[in-house]
Amino acid sequence: MFWGLLLGMTAITFYNRYAFFARSLRYQPGEKARRFLSFSSYAILTSIWTPILFGYSPSSGLSVTGLDYLLAASAAALMTLFGVRSIFVVLISTAMFFVLRGTLPA
Amino acid sequence: MNSNTNKNNLQLSVEACVDTLPLAIAVIPWGILTGALGIQVGLTPLQAQLMSLLVFAGAAQLSALTLMAGPTSMLSIFGSTFVISARHLLYSVTFREHVMHLSLAYRGALAFVLTDEMFAVSEAHTKRTGAFSAIFALASGVTFYVIWNLATLVGIVAGESFENIEQLGLDFAIVATFIAMTFDQLKQRPVAVAMIVSGVLAVLLKPLFSESYIILASLAGMACAYAAANAATPTTQEVE
Repeated sequence: MFWGLLLGMTAITFYNRYAFFARSLRYQPGEKARRFLSFSSYAILTSIWTPILFGYSPSSGLSVTGLDYLLAASAAALMTLFGVRSIFVVLISTAMFFVLRGTLPA
Repeated sequence: MNSNTNKNNLQLSVEACVDTLPLAIAVIPWGILTGALGIQVGLTPLQAQLMSLLVFAGAAQLSALTLMAGPTSMLSIFGSTFVISARHLLYSVTFREHVMHLSLAYRGALAFVLTDEMFAVSEAHTKRTGAFSAIFALASGVTFYVIWNLATLVGIVAGESFENIEQLGLDFAIVATFIAMTFDQLKQRPVAVAMIVSGVLAVLLKPLFSESYIILASLAGMACAYAAANAATPTTQEVE
């Protein structure tokens, strides 16, 4: 069972990654498709980080993972908006996060 | 002219490695968890490592291992693997125009190491320099691959000694990096639309669609951004 599973999962993940790299596929994105795809990184990255920061359940509503997360993420957002270079945004806000995590009540 | 042409492959690779490190470090707890969970559900160390070496998709691996712990069919594991990794199709189509001129082996290698993190770091590099660099993308992907597999190995060897490692807060580095990569363009209205719609939907959809919320929220955000961009300036095809 395991070896079939491994083979199948390898094939599926590789297919999803390689599908549009294949020359046999005749698709060429036109201007509309390219405009649509130009938003992909913003949309996907945001879809990945927001659920780390916020939680939602139909019964208890919206929740924040922690004040440390919220404050440090806000600092990262402000620094980026004010044009701080991204490497410094990551370093400063992550340092701030761990300081807050150590000092804020749980 | 772009700055890629002024750099040699080694410089580009080092730059990619440095840019990828914060994200790679952030997923170490999940790598360890993947290795440890593999042993827990009864895989041999070799089998547990091969999953990370060949499948190389964190969320899909963790989901499969969780399913393997209970009574499940191979088909349902394949279904969840496909749905979870479907967002790679979006990365693949976004990169398509940049990689078509490369050899089959090069395209295969790039596809093999294509992850959320490699996509994010490469897109940021393309924006910064004005041109996609295949060397940069490959080096970023390989960096991530090596760290993911080392983390898996640590989990296989010493899994039980790391309790609650996923609660250390290392995932904040993902939040910080992705904010730094996207908020600089927030002043463009369509980009803001993409981020707000995707971000809100991802949070709301996660409890309902634990496997597909990322792709669903992203496609909705992209569609709204596309509509907002067209409202501002229609594409030339529509003008004609």
